[in-house]
Amino acid sequence: MKYRVTHLTTYHGDQPVSVCHNEAWLKPRDTPFQRLEDHQLETNPPPTSLAQRHDYFGNNVWAFSFNRGYDEMIVTSVSEVTLNERTIPPVDQTPPWEQIAETLRRPASPDDLAACEFTFDSPRSVGNTALAEYARQSFPAGRPLLEGAAELTERIHRDFEFDPRATTVTTPVDEAFRLRRGVCQDFAHLEIAALRSLGLASRYVSGYLRTRPAPGQPHLVGTDASHAWLSVYLGHGEWLDLDPTNNLFPSLEHITVAWGRDYGDVCPLKGVLIGGGGHSLSVSVDVALIETDDSPS
Amino acid sequence: MMPTNPPPFDDLWKFYRSRASVYDEAVESAGVLRPHWAGLRDGLQDYTLEELANRTVQAERMLNDNGVTFDVFQEKDVQQRLWRLDLIPMILPADEWSRLQAGLDQRARLLEAIIDDIHGRQRTLKEGLLPPGVVFAHPQFFRPFCGLHDRTTRSMIVYAAELARGPNGQWFVMADRADAPVGAGYALENRIVTSRTIPSLMHRRPVQRLAAFFVRLQNALKELAAKQSDNPRIVLLSPGPASPYYFEDVYLAGYLGYTLAQGADLAVRDERVFLKTLAGLLPVDVILSRGTDRGIDPLELGGDSLHGVPGLLQALRQGTVSIANMPGCGLVEAPVFMAFLPALCRQLLGEELQLASIATWWCGDDAARRYVAEHLDQLVIKPAFEASGGEEILGARLSAAERAELLVRIAERPQAYVAQETIARSAVPVFDADWNLRSGHAAVRAFLVSDGPGYHLMPGGLVRIARTADPMELSISAGAGSKDLWVLSDGPVNQVSLLHAVDKPVPLRRSGALFPSRVADDLFWLGWSMARVDFLARIIRAVTERLTTDPESSEELPALVRALAEQGQLEATFAVEAFSGLLPKLEGVLPDAVFDVADVQGLGFAVTEMLRIGSLVRDRLSPDTWLTIHQTTSDFLEDSSPERPDSAGLLARLNMLIVDLAAVSGLLEDGMIRGPAWRFLELGRRIELGRNVASLLRTVVSSGELQNRAVLRALLEVLDCRMTYRSRYLDNVQPNAVLDLFISDETNPRSLAFQAVAISEHVDALPQDHTSPLHTEEKRLAMAALHAVRMVTPQQLEAAQPDELQQLLLDVDGQFRSLTDLLQLRYLLHSGTPRQITGEGNVFT
Repeated sequence: MKYRVTHLTTYHGDQPVSVCHNEAWLKPRDTPFQRLEDHQLETNPPPTSLAQRHDYFGNNVWAFSFNRGYDEMIVTSVSEVTLNERTIPPVDQTPPWEQIAETLRRPASPDDLAACEFTFDSPRSVGNTALAEYARQSFPAGRPLLEGAAELTERIHRDFEFDPRATTVTTPVDEAFRLRRGVCQDFAHLEIAALRSLGLASRYVSGYLRTRPAPGQPHLVGTDASHAWLSVYLGHGEWLDLDPTNNLFPSLEHITVAWGRDYGDVCPLKGVLIGGGGHSLSVSVDVALIETDDSPS
Repeated sequence: MMPTNPPPFDDLWKFYRSRASVYDEAVESAGVLRPHWAGLRDGLQDYTLEELANRTVQAERMLNDNGVTFDVFQEKDVQQRLWRLDLIPMILPADEWSRLQAGLDQRARLLEAIIDDIHGRQRTLKEGLLPPGVVFAHPQFFRPFCGLHDRTTRSMIVYAAELARGPNGQWFVMADRADAPVGAGYALENRIVTSRTIPSLMHRRPVQRLAAFFVRLQNALKELAAKQSDNPRIVLLSPGPASPYYFEDVYLAGYLGYTLAQGADLAVRDERVFLKTLAGLLPVDVILSRGTDRGIDPLELGGDSLHGVPGLLQALRQGTVSIANMPGCGLVEAPVFMAFLPALCRQLLGEELQLASIATWWCGDDAARRYVAEHLDQLVIKPAFEASGGEEILGARLSAAERAELLVRIAERPQAYVAQETIARSAVPVFDADWNLRSGHAAVRAFLVSDGPGYHLMPGGLVRIARTADPMELSISAGAGSKDLWVLSDGPVNQVSLLHAVDKPVPLRRSGALFPSRVADDLFWLGWSMARVDFLARIIRAVTERLTTDPESSEELPALVRALAEQGQLEATFAVEAFSGLLPKLEGVLPDAVFDVADVQGLGFAVTEMLRIGSLVRDRLSPDTWLTIHQTTSDFLEDSSPERPDSAGLLARLNMLIVDLAAVSGLLEDGMIRGPAWRFLELGRRIELGRNVASLLRTVVSSGELQNRAVLRALLEVLDCRMTYRSRYLDNVQPNAVLDLFISDETNPRSLAFQAVAISEHVDALPQDHTSPLHTEEKRLAMAALHAVRMVTPQQLEAAQPDELQQLLLDVDGQFRSLTDLLQLRYLLHSGTPRQITGEGNVFT
């Protein structure tokens, strides 16, 4: 499956901005199931400096600045990615969750050590006792890890209401947990914290989701947006994605951009500016399917 | 054996008793001084006790005058805590110090190796030398710093260690300071003051000098820039006056010869760091950072630290700028590392750790946690990942319930805690309040600087004294006082000094260090606040005087009250409503309005602004000026909160305020070099005064009261021109003469013409772009205002056509206002406050 993702960010201030420095996690990374075919980042006005780097977690980062001032800034990121189907292991054949937790307590291999980093609280995904108890219900002793994780994902999907007005990007996990509502980012942070409370490793994934057009309706531009889900570590360097917002295992409809401990590590676009007065930021994302696996390549 | 005729010295030492079970730095056994203290004893014979007492007072006054404080003024608490110095130094022999030099050099190299490894290959984790939780759960492990440390230059240039000596004479490191260690400047100041106060004592013994340490620091910083420049521009990046150690930032910047900058003074353009000056952007090669690394780049780390520079990390990655210390060094200040240093030293350096840390157990390790639970009485518990000095829990002081509660807390988050042994620090002789020598407990902060492949230990340090043997706070402001630390020399003493090369003429210059735009901005607003305070205080005084005498019969009171309302000091209703009904209300309202510091148009606000801005540019003002500003504002605002003064009290305060403010103006006028700093201060003052005068005249003209003699007299009073007018026209008060005095008389310092002349001259002198042969826009505005008041006609002054006069005043006011905006834009605006745009708008489904 090949997709073209167009991610448009428009920044508008009441007054001209004199200087602005930005960092963007907008360029999708390669994964075992995803290949980045093409990527273009354009800004209007053109930046006065532009650089690319890899962050600590291996994600692609754009750094760009403007110092000749602007009234409006538009960042357009266009990416073409090919997704391959992921094999989801039979949930009852994954190792007991305690076994993985124990491996992570004393990591012996480089893979386990790397995963171990995702077992600790992170700034935006902090656990608490209530959340740990909530998680525990899906993880009785000896239960295969993925069976527990799938159930936890399903429970979050069921127990929490999707409500874009209930939370903001800075809402802490415990508040979303108390409110029992939020958006995909809250659900991801929540499940990450829940899994970590058991000593399991879980990371935050930022990306896009193809929205299925309703039958008979054309695909609408701009209705899609950034999406977020999570991965859980299965041992031996294997990670599996979980999407609590949609209660499924991501495969051919989730395009990964970047991963980190939480949203703070992989914010799509951040910046510091001087000037601008009051400002507004609007985002539109279009995920278009350009080739299916059946079509000739 | 006591001598039969004890010399005066022994009077001093008569009551000195060393404490049981602590190591005494001065006394070997009862009555016997250690050999390296003998010189001090001999030297003290030159002074009587009374002299020493006087000299201590003198020394503390000297420190006070130099501005040595370690707590800045906060808005409410204007008292700065002063530095206290005990003149008897602590003394250490050369051989002992060289052992510490070896131990601390090794420790610094080790800590740097750990910092580099964690932000690089993470061998310490891969090989199991550090448990993953020590690094991954460390809240100060900032991933954006990774990759900055694998370069050829040093990560850690400066380092400080908190030392204590145990009962058996062994030294321990109590805490590591690797982020932006403070204290070296205080140690230097202690030395300078001690040696000036008791010179003969100092020169009798070969005491090693401190200056060589700072020369090494200069060299190390220069070396950092080797790639960029032979003659690098180095700035000292300070968190600003709100930092408790701002004094030291100012002091060291001056001593080392670096520009003092805050975050807003630096800008990153095209991945290079620049200093923003009035003359434009100047490239910076090296930054000596004095703020914590966690706020160093608001773009990548968030936050709004005053020493933060957006884009700095990217510039560091590009290698276009160097910094001391490299962000990331702060990580090792966490006491958790102490539990692992011996093994790390073996693995990373291939050496045995020479200088022990205070015994430390990390509760994240099960065996260690069991030990801690069993030995809580002998231990102090503290957060594992915070630099020591914050929360410390003494196990022995806990009740059974508290103890159980603590153990539960530890069990919930074991890796968040460490436990450390308690230690009875060594004793030193200290003067008590009655000038007897008693023993106090010493904490020593030692300073190291990168030097070739290793580190050089400053031969001296900062000694702080505690009266009890309890664990001491590890900040440099802790303790009951400080001391100089003398390290004796085996050989001749090296006479390096950075202070002034004696007997050597210097190259002459007329300009000082670089002048950041932010400072110009602050000075502009300081000038503004002074003019504003003076103007408002004078009108309010005029109103209050009339209110307290016979308000009903005062013809001019309505005009004055209206003027206050137009300035925003009173509600607008006072400007329009029928006046007589408001009078009783006014007397009650006015004092509240005057002291309301939250009302941005009022006098109280202008006064607090004057103090706030003054504190921001303190290092540009003479100590007397700052002191007078401080005094002026505290005299006026003092005790204003609990109960408002009545009209008489208000009057007294206003009189004092006006006179105090004149003292500030006088000090600035007489003392300030006529450079850009002064010009911006003047511009702020002159523009505000001009606008205030224009506004006051407009109030009178628009209400048609120009023919009212009482109002005209009040005008002369408010603008302080009664005597001038009388000398010219006696008692014949005529509108045209009054207007001439305030509009067109270039000899009257309170006239519009005088302001316009001064402003025009200052604008001329500003640095400007000479590419166009035409006048700049700000020059045109200044000239337009000057032209307008010079072209005023006798008819206009006679106010035959009030509208024409009104228009003239409006025009001049408008030109001054536009000039302010333009100056902001041209010279000051790029020092605006950075803001974050993260978050909003990142919509998620």
